[in-house]
Amino acid sequence: MAATLCVRLLPKQGWLPLTQSVRHGSKSVTRHRKPIHLLKQKLLAVTKYVPPPRAAPLGAYPSESQKVQEDSGLLLILKNDLKSVFRDNKMIAVVQNNSSSAEDMMTLKHRLFKHGIRVKFFPNEVTRSFLSDSVYSSMTPLFIGPTVLLVSKEPKVKEMLSALRASPQITLLGGCVDDTLLSVQGLVGFSKLPSVTVVQGQLVSGLTVLTSRTAAMLGHHPARLSLLLQQHVRQQSPEEAPPPPQQAT
Amino acid sequence: MAASRRVSVVLKAVRNITVQFCPFESNVRSTREFLAKVASDKARATNMNCEVITTVKHDRSEPVVDITYVDGERLVMKGAKLTSSEMLAAFQSRCAAKDRQTAAAKK
Repeated sequence: MAATLCVRLLPKQGWLPLTQSVRHGSKSVTRHRKPIHLLKQKLLAVTKYVPPPRAAPLGAYPSESQKVQEDSGLLLILKNDLKSVFRDNKMIAVVQNNSSSAEDMMTLKHRLFKHGIRVKFFPNEVTRSFLSDSVYSSMTPLFIGPTVLLVSKEPKVKEMLSALRASPQITLLGGCVDDTLLSVQGLVGFSKLPSVTVVQGQLVSGLTVLTSRTAAMLGHHPARLSLLLQQHVRQQSPEEAPPPPQQAT
Repeated sequence: MAASRRVSVVLKAVRNITVQFCPFESNVRSTREFLAKVASDKARATNMNCEVITTVKHDRSEPVVDITYVDGERLVMKGAKLTSSEMLAAFQSRCAAKDRQTAAAKK
């Protein structure tokens, strides 16, 4: 309690008043919240009581483990659609269309339909959940962002590539041809392959080359054949005695 | 969860954007999302001269976005450990800086 001596009550020097007001000035009990002194504030903050954290009782919060969600009806229908698509079509290409106006999409659809390639749209969730269950699980990472499926019964990769080249904003990501996963380079290589009949013809011709040469040789004039045989015999006999001529030289 | 309310991507100061990624890798999500936003109709409408070139590879390489500006500066972003919003923010801040520079130069 500070004692204040007012200067006015001391007219003469050295004269102390009879009464001295001890409590004067700021009050302790106020009607408003009195601001606490900084030091007291700091002390209170440092010595504040922090109760120990109590664990929540069991069953108060739901468990963090994910529950298996059942597919909704629409999801099931779309999955069935996808299954039939994968079953019926030999070639399935995955393409990302960053931005296609409706006109571009229509032109592309038209160009592809001329070759029998259809354009299919499926939500990524459906595709991912379907693929993770099926044989084609390695295609799952392709389905991110705006993806479109190009499907066709016949593997017409060359026509598809030429149609896609005309629309620059569509990016080919990969594809599955005859149950074989192919990257972009694989698809390009596939398009450059000759047709099956051509390959079969090349294989057959390669295998029959020797026999056909023999058959052709047998058809030559007999005098020529006997000359060839004599030359062969002459070549064989000098081979048996090569050393003496070489030692002389 | 958009990075900015006005999500429009302005490509005025960009000459070309090259994006290369391998779609079978697991770290390409951000790059593909960035590509989808940058190559959208609205973005390309802001600058018809800007080319967006996408290369799809299959060699386990990292996804890379290479942006060349009109004044020759290049911004290379390796998207393996970045999110698409981070890449967009970096790209847009560079574009805004360029716009400010050109505006100041004009004055």
